[in-house]
Parts: sequence; C-alpha cells; structure tokens
Amino acid sequence: MKDLSPAGATPRPDIRVPAPRPGADLGGRLRRVLLSDYFVLYLSLAYFLVLVPFLPTLSTPGNLTNLMSNMWPLLVVAVGQTFVLTIAGIDLSQGAVMGLTSVVAAMLIATAAPAQVLANAPIWGSFLTEKGGWLAASPWAAPIAIAAMLAVAAVIGACNGAAVARLGMPPFMVTLVTMIAVGAFAIWLTQSNNIRELPDSFVTLGRGDLVSVYLGPKLESQLPRREVYSFVTWPMVIALAVAAFAHLLLNRTVFGRYVFAIGINRKAAEISGVPVARVIVTVFIISAVCAAIASILYTARLETGRPTLGAGTFLLDVIGASVIGGTSLFGGKGKIIWTFFGVLFFVLLSNTLNLMNLSTFHIDMVKGGVILMAALLDVVRTRLLRAAT
Amino acid sequence: MTALLALDSLAKDWFGVPAVRDVTLAIEQGATLGLIGENGAGKSTLMNMIGGVVAPSSGAMIWRGEPYAPASAADATTRGIAFIHQELNLFTNLSIAENVFIDGFPRRFGLIDRKRIAEATRALLARLDVEHAPETIVGELAPGERQLVEIAKALHRAADLIIFDEPTTSLTPRETARLFDVIARLKAEGRTIIYISHILGDVARICDRIAVLRDGRLIDEGETRDMPVARMIRSMIGRELSGLFPDRVAAPDEEIVFRAEGLSQAGVLEGVTFDVRAGEILGLFGLMGSGRSELARGIFGLDPLAAGTLRLGAAPLAGPPKARIAAGLAFVTENRREEGLMMEAPVAENLSLVAVRDFGRGPLALIDREAHVEATERAKVELGIRAANIARQPVKALSGGNQQKVVIGKWLMRDPRLFILDEPTRGVDVGAKYEIYALADRLAAAGGGVLFISSELEELIGMCDRILVMSRGELTAAFAPPFDREKLLAAAFREAVA
Amino acid sequence: MSRLSDLALRHATLLIFAAVLLWFGAQAPGFLTPESLGNIIKQAAFIGIAAIGITFVLLTAGIDLSVGAVMYLAPLIAGFAMRDLGIGVGGGLVVAVLAGGLLGAINAAAIVGLRIIPFIVTLATLFAFRGFGAFLTSSQQFDFDRAMRDFGLSSVGPVPMPIVVFLLLALAAHVVLSRTTFGRQVYAVGNDPEAARKAGLPVAWVQARVYVISGACAGLAGFIVISQIGRLDAGFGEGREFDVIAAAVLGGASLFGGIGSALGAVVGATLIQTVKSGLVFTGVNLYLQPILMAAIIFLAVLVDTLRARRIAIRKRRIIRPIET
Repeated sequence: MKDLSPAGATPRPDIRVPAPRPGADLGGRLRRVLLSDYFVLYLSLAYFLVLVPFLPTLSTPGNLTNLMSNMWPLLVVAVGQTFVLTIAGIDLSQGAVMGLTSVVAAMLIATAAPAQVLANAPIWGSFLTEKGGWLAASPWAAPIAIAAMLAVAAVIGACNGAAVARLGMPPFMVTLVTMIAVGAFAIWLTQSNNIRELPDSFVTLGRGDLVSVYLGPKLESQLPRREVYSFVTWPMVIALAVAAFAHLLLNRTVFGRYVFAIGINRKAAEISGVPVARVIVTVFIISAVCAAIASILYTARLETGRPTLGAGTFLLDVIGASVIGGTSLFGGKGKIIWTFFGVLFFVLLSNTLNLMNLSTFHIDMVKGGVILMAALLDVVRTRLLRAAT
Repeated sequence: MTALLALDSLAKDWFGVPAVRDVTLAIEQGATLGLIGENGAGKSTLMNMIGGVVAPSSGAMIWRGEPYAPASAADATTRGIAFIHQELNLFTNLSIAENVFIDGFPRRFGLIDRKRIAEATRALLARLDVEHAPETIVGELAPGERQLVEIAKALHRAADLIIFDEPTTSLTPRETARLFDVIARLKAEGRTIIYISHILGDVARICDRIAVLRDGRLIDEGETRDMPVARMIRSMIGRELSGLFPDRVAAPDEEIVFRAEGLSQAGVLEGVTFDVRAGEILGLFGLMGSGRSELARGIFGLDPLAAGTLRLGAAPLAGPPKARIAAGLAFVTENRREEGLMMEAPVAENLSLVAVRDFGRGPLALIDREAHVEATERAKVELGIRAANIARQPVKALSGGNQQKVVIGKWLMRDPRLFILDEPTRGVDVGAKYEIYALADRLAAAGGGVLFISSELEELIGMCDRILVMSRGELTAAFAPPFDREKLLAAAFREAVA
Repeated sequence: MSRLSDLALRHATLLIFAAVLLWFGAQAPGFLTPESLGNIIKQAAFIGIAAIGITFVLLTAGIDLSVGAVMYLAPLIAGFAMRDLGIGVGGGLVVAVLAGGLLGAINAAAIVGLRIIPFIVTLATLFAFRGFGAFLTSSQQFDFDRAMRDFGLSSVGPVPMPIVVFLLLALAAHVVLSRTTFGRQVYAVGNDPEAARKAGLPVAWVQARVYVISGACAGLAGFIVISQIGRLDAGFGEGREFDVIAAAVLGGASLFGGIGSALGAVVGATLIQTVKSGLVFTGVNLYLQPILMAAIIFLAVLVDTLRARRIAIRKRRIIRPIET
C-alpha cells in the first residue's frame, strides 16, 4: 500500500465544489469526499482498516503480496477498458483476446509438448511438436512471442474498431461476436488443452523479483516458492508503466482530448474536425493490446498457455472495477486513476472474501451488490454535481 | 365571455429571460386564429403553455369558462386540445390505427379490438381523404401523410381546439393543398383552430383573425380582412434598428474567397450558385425549412450533394468535414447544444477543440499546457466570454450568448477563410447579439469571408453587404443595400407585395 | 431495386435460415427428416423461451444480462419448494415462473425506481442471483426426484413437452405483443420514450413489466431444460445471457428498441439451434462451431444496422418536391 499513501494524503478536489455554507460544514465535507477523485481509495482504505482486526491474515506480507499480484494484470485490462468506456463503447472481447494471445505465445515458445495431449490440435505438427514451438531454441523467444501477442491483439482490436466506426454497428454486439469467435478459435487451436513448458525467459515476467524484502520467516502454508516477499515485481513494473502511459495518453495528449470529445458529444466532435473513425479504431486497438499485455502477465505467472484465460466472469470483473472507479458507461467520463482505485477496491474485496473462506459464488454475490452500490453512488454523485453547477 | 379559450396576462421566463410577456387573448369557439411573428417572438412558448408542455410563469388560462392549468401534454389532450407539433409525435413502428388509439384501445375479450379500431380509423382517414389502410405502418408514410395521421388523432379525440405549428414546412405543394382542404372542413365542422406559420399568404387564406407576436408581446390583432400582408410584416418587425448593430469596419474586397456553383440534391437543394468575397459578410435569408441549414451542411460536407462544385480560394473543396476544416472552412451550426458544444466539458476544452492538434508537442502529441492555457485565456478575453474559470467551468453553466461565443471562438484559432454562421444569435439576448455581430465584422475585417445565415431579417439588414434569399431549396433573389425589407420578405415568402 | 433490397433487409433472417437449411440438407440428407427437425426445435426451446422474454426488454431499448443467472436460481428455488413443500412438478413449474418474475422485479425496481441503467443493474444481479443460488446449495449439484424427469420427457400426443411449452409461450407472447394495450405500449416506448411520455403512456410501468416478463421466461426456460436432465449443476446457465440476446437479435429484435417480435425470437433461437445441430450433423469440429455461429450473428447485426441507417436517411427532411 506504500505506493498509494502520498497520493491519498493530498486530496485535490478536481471538481468544482461550491463554498461550504456556514452550518453545513459537515455536509459540505461529506460532499467533497463523495465528489473527490480519491473517493474509492478512501473507501478501500476504510474497508481495509475496518476488516484488519477481524481478519489478521489480511495485513500479513504474504497476503499483501498475493493481493498485489492479483491486482496488476487486472489493472492493465481495466485500463484498456477505460478508454473504450470513455468513448461510450464497451469491449466484451478482452477476455477472449487474452485466451488467444496466451495460446499464440505458448505455441511459439513452448520448449516441449506432450504428443498424447496435443496430437489432435491443429497446431500440432506445424507450429508445435514434441520439441516445442518454432522459437523454442531461439534466444529471442520471449520478445518475439510478446510481439506476436501484441500484433494479434492489435488486429482483433482494429476489426472491432472498424465495425463500430465504419459500419456503425453497436459496440456491444460487435465485441460480443468477437468474444465468441476469438474465444472459440483459441480453444480450437489447442483443442481446449493447455500448453505448458514455457521457457524461463518468458516465465520470469510473471514474478521476476526486482526488489525483495525480507519480512521474517515465511508461514508454512504460503506460496511454496517464496523465501522472501517480493514487493517490486515485473508485473508491478509493467502494469504501473502501462497505467502511467495510459494516464499520459488520456489526460495530456491531443489523442486523449479526442477520446473525451467523442465520448461527450460525437456529433460536435465530428463537426469540429476530430478524426472520429480513426480515434475509435485506435481506442479498440488499445483495449485489445492491454488485454494482450495482461495475458503476458497471466501466462507467465501460470507458466501455461491457456485458451480459456479470461473466460467466464473475468470480463465482468473488469467492467465492474472500471465502473466502481467512477468511469461512466455513457462515455465522456473516465480517468486512469479512478480505474486504478476501482481495481484496488475490487481486488481487496475479492481477497477479503477469500480470507473469510467464502466460496467463489458467495464472492460473486457480494460483488454484484458492490457493483449496484457503485452505480447507485454514481447516480447520487451525478445529481450532486448537477446541483453544484 | 363566451370565449373557448382565454389567456389572461400569460407570461413565461426562461431563466430570467422573458419569452412571453403579458399576453391577453381570447379565442372564440369556431374561430380560426393565425399566429405570426419572427423566430424567437414567443409563438412556440405560448402554444406550448396552452398544450401543457411548459407551465406559465404567471398569468392564467380559462378553458370553456373554467380555470385551465394543464399538468402535462396528456392533460391538455384529455381536455380537448390537440397540438400538432412541427416534430410529429407519432410512433413510426406502429400502424396508423394504433397511433390513433395509443392512449386507449377498445378491447374485446381482453384483446385489442382490431376490427373496431380499423373501422374507426378508416372512417377518420376517409374524412381526411387519406387512402392508406389503417394497418399501414406510419414509418412508411410521407411527411404530409403523417401530418394527416396527427389530425386523425385529434379528430378521434374530438378535439375542440387544434393547434398547428408550422405544418407546411416539410410538405410538397400538393400535400399543402390537401392540408388546407382538411382545415377548411374542420372549420366547417365548427372546430377551433390556431395556425402558426411564416407563410403569410397561407395565414391570410386560412384564418379569420390574425395575432402578431413580437418579443413575447401581443403587438397586433385583428380580422384578417383588416390585415394586409404589409401590416403583418410591419407589426412583426416594427423595431428601430439604430444602436442594435455595431458599425461595420470590414469592407468587401474584389478577391473572391469562396465560390459555390450549381449545388443540387434531390428534395433539398436546386442549382445554388453564389460567391463570397474577402472581407464580406454575405447574408442568407430564408424561413425555417427553406433549405438554408441544409445548404450550410452540404458546403461543410455533412450532408451529401449530388451535383455542384465548391472552391475555397483557388483550391476545390471536397472530402469529409476534417479536410474542409484543414482547407480553411469554419462552421457554427444552428444546433449549438447537439452539434456545437461538449456541454459537460470545461470552456477551455471547448475553445481549443478544433485547434487542439496545434498544441501537440513531440511524437506523443503531448499537449503544451502553458500554450493551451495562454491561448484559451486570450480567446476568452478577445471574445469577451464571461466565465470565472474556463479551465474548470463546464460550458453548460454559461448563458446562451456566452455559449455561442465559445462555439465561434473554437474556430478562431485556425484563422479560417470562410466562416459559415448558421443562426448565430438564436436564443441569445440582445446584448450578446451585439457582441456576436461585432465578432462577425472582425472575422470579415481579418480578410475572411462570412456567410451569415439567419431567419431574422433585421440582423441581416443591419450587418450584411449583400443578402441572398432562399426558398424551397433555391436562391430566389439577391439584394444589395439599401435593402428593402418588404421585397426581401416577399422573395422569401414568394409572395407578391404591392 | 431499393424495394427489393428493403425486402431482403427486412427478411434477412429468414433468407439466412433458408440458406442454412439448404446447405446442411445438401451436406447431409438425414438432416432434413422430421425427427431431426423436431429435435432441433426441442433443443431450441431452452434459449428460445428466454429469448421470447428478453425480446420484451430489447423492444424498450433495455437489456437484461441476468437471464443466465435467473435460469439457474429460479428452478433452484422451485426445486427446494418441490422437495420441502411437496408441491409436485406442476407446482414447481409455477414456482419457477413466479421466482423468475420476482427476480425480474428486483431488476425493474432498480432500473425504474433508482434510475440506474439496465446494463449495470442486470450485470450486478447476474452476480448476485448466481451467488444467492450457490449460497442455497453450497455450490453443490441439486438433484430433483424422478417425477421431474418424467415430466421433462413427457409429451402431448406425439409432441414432446418442451416444444409444447415453447410454442404455447410463443403464441401467448405474440398475442400479448400484437394484440394487447400493454404490448403496443412496449413498442411505443421503445420507438420514442419522450413521445410516449407526452402521449400520457405509463412509461415507467411498461419498462418495469418487461423485466418481470424476462425474468419469468428465464425461470421457465431453466425449469424446462432441467426437467429433462433431472439435476441442476452449479454452473448451469452461465454465459447463456449472450446466447439469448443473440437469438433475439437474430430474430430481428433491435438493440435500439422498437423493433422485434416474439415469433422472431422463435426463429432466431431455432436458427441458432439449426446451425449448431447442422454443424454436429456434418461433423464440423466442435470447437469451430462457435466461430460459425458468431459469423451468422455478425451478419444479422450488420443487417439490423443497415436497416436502421436506411430508416434514418428516410427520416431526413424533404424541402422541395422530388421530380420523378
């Protein structure tokens, strides 16, 4: 949590708040907290502090490491989704892109593969053999695999974007179709099998302790591989770099202005000379590429190319986390920092529910409630804002 | 009083700006009242109050001798007032019969009695000479036929008062003739009608009485036979022009900056040809539905043009709006809210939207924030935008006049060579109008051309070097100063004025 | 020419359907036998029943992502009622429909009452309903007694029970949508909510009811399928919301509201099942089948978009007579 505290210490009300009237100080302060960019961070911290006494394991280094390692890939995906939501779109295909890129990387760089499992897969014999993939022996295996993943994702994103921008189809249906087709294609490639035996150079990206901190002897039940707890890992560095770059792109560049302009008023943007179609296509490419980067992190961490990576309710986690952060489904309203806090809250929530020994289904139930609360809160915030202007 | 509807000192303010002031008017049972006035004179607001769409700020209405304060449009309908809006209130995915009966279907065994609604609708349609079957989906009807469906709805509800708001703007001459036929029959049945239109000849033909609104006030009212077209026009305009307009600084040059030749599009434009000189403010006068906005949109590349050529300077103008903007075209649309502004975004973001590319630095096109702040602050001062903090304040928090300055201002950073202003002073108070006129003059003085489109004649007369008149998609006349108001209006109405 | 393409656009799904039938018929002659076709309709009942329900929602330009979870939870509640109250299969069926309607009412309350957009509400209840079901079963499989399967495998004369329910529901929904005040108001609200409000229609009430109907249909759909299997797995219905939406859209329902029909949903669901069965029949790789499904859905949505665009062009104002 250390990396978050400086930001939390300096609340900067970014939204115009009327001067508090005398006597309405408490209400004014409450309103300021509600409208703050950091609201969800406060919420997360409060939630954390309330639960620590009841769940002592929550604040152990082992759990915090675990919590963060769950957070980074989800953050990357949610960052991509934030761009799409900001132009009033939605991308349901991110999970499928993760599955396909995971398979693509694995079939290129696996160092070995079992014939009895994969012999029926269409990639067997051409891309993948018992001796592994094409690049099994190459020193460039990891970088080329990553490039391939990003390229595949970019093509899928471009197709989504073209269907939305050029053909005028609704993003929901377009990406739904992509989700079904790409997901099925990934599963077909390996006939629903996983590909293991990935080279170390790639797997490192999933953990790769850059800075490790010794915080006492590890507890027996935890993470067998770890002697020490690593706070600065490759996934963290990559995810934060992606988030920082995305923040820059969305808030500081001409492109970012275009994204907001399209989200707020597409017609006005078009008349003002914003290259609407190009921006929409780019946004869908960003979304898919972010999914591919997350896929790198997951694939490396699991040491497995998994076609069903990102299937099931993962996508709803992503949209839920973005929306909890405060990004609007109607477009024109989105911030990377909101998404960051939304993901933090979502991961913290899942983590605590896990620690309470609840089943995944119970977790789903609470998640549903939280998404609804977040939406309700958004309705309240919007009304407050409207009253303020 | 035996009046069917009486208005007593009726008034309506929009955020402190009066739209209708102190209107007292009585409408007798069976009368046909024509309501005329310039755009923004308050006709629509007045009728919306009668139709239950907006509530009056003060004053009272008496309907059939009883106090009348409709809470909703549906409320007005049940009392026997039918309001046929310019934008029709029909469900295009339902049949004619279903549209007529939508707020109360007769039922048999719990199901809609289709036979009965079909028969009743067929009878209604027969009265209106509509040949379509009651089962026809409204979406398949032509605009004129849809209007008749609205009238059928009114007849079905046995409406005593039927209000027509500009009913002929999207009708062909044949459809218009048919509509007048129907109105004559409604009159013969003893129904009361309020007819709003810009087409003064139509008003004179249909109505027994005529009321003229100007600046929200009832200026003139009388029997049609006492109201020649000249008196109607005089009452509509009436205002002294001095002091309303800034002195012109710019003077037209010889150099032609923009030329349109033979612009045509089926059903919209026909053979439109004109040019704009450097330093010139060229007025384009036309009534609502004359095709003036469609012309502007065609020039800007938003609507298709089947034929014709455009030149800006020496180069031909073509391609999507983006390319035309790059070539030096600027367009202030008539629809500020939907097409001009990002209402929720701060003023500064709106001001820099067109030119935002110019603030990009480096391969990422990072916005040079200092330059951005400086440029937008300068624009704010130059345009005289009254806003506390343009980096934070959303544009929707500004007044209409200041919003309009933002729409104009966002083009200024690109130094456009032709500025198309489509109804730039609509919904803007008098003071802000003056500032917008001054801005238009400055644009021309900077060497560009301005195409000033308006349905307010005074402002064109006050500001323009030449005025073209448009009607039914064609340019019908061109005028140079000194302008003759009556001739201009005659050209727009296509009426002969003695 | 444009008349012809209009006609093609309007009946695109039927054209696609005919092409699919002909194609598979040519590939495998056994495909077009009555038994095979009857089987297809029987299997289509599951998605089809829920698609009829969601058509109501789509007609008002709303969306319901919770149908998959309702398919699971409502029959589960019925199962408990059957086991603990001894109400029999008929009673269970009623309970499943009522429970589905109640879950839909929860969606409706949040959408109409709290004014939260349907997408988020039903996304949240998707999680919540499934979670609640798992809470009831501790994520275990739920076994029904024999009577349930007897009901599921029963038939009315020669017609299997699922087909009877499917067709009866389709008929009822068709009558409601085309012949009742409520049904026509659903279309009106989807076409132009603002105009509907002005015309004095009970817009909120209409919007609320469509979610109840969608929930009830999802509950019924789940119950009918489970009656054929005899047990309810923890993951039942997961992800089915997308199949259901796809079936309705294939059947001509527009995501923009105002267009669609109950019979369309039947056609859409049957088309999906026909393609699925056809692909199995012709031995196409199991894993490739969804890709072909996706292609057909894409085609249907593209047609819908083109149709909407054509309508928009037609709405454009005409200023002067067009010389013909």
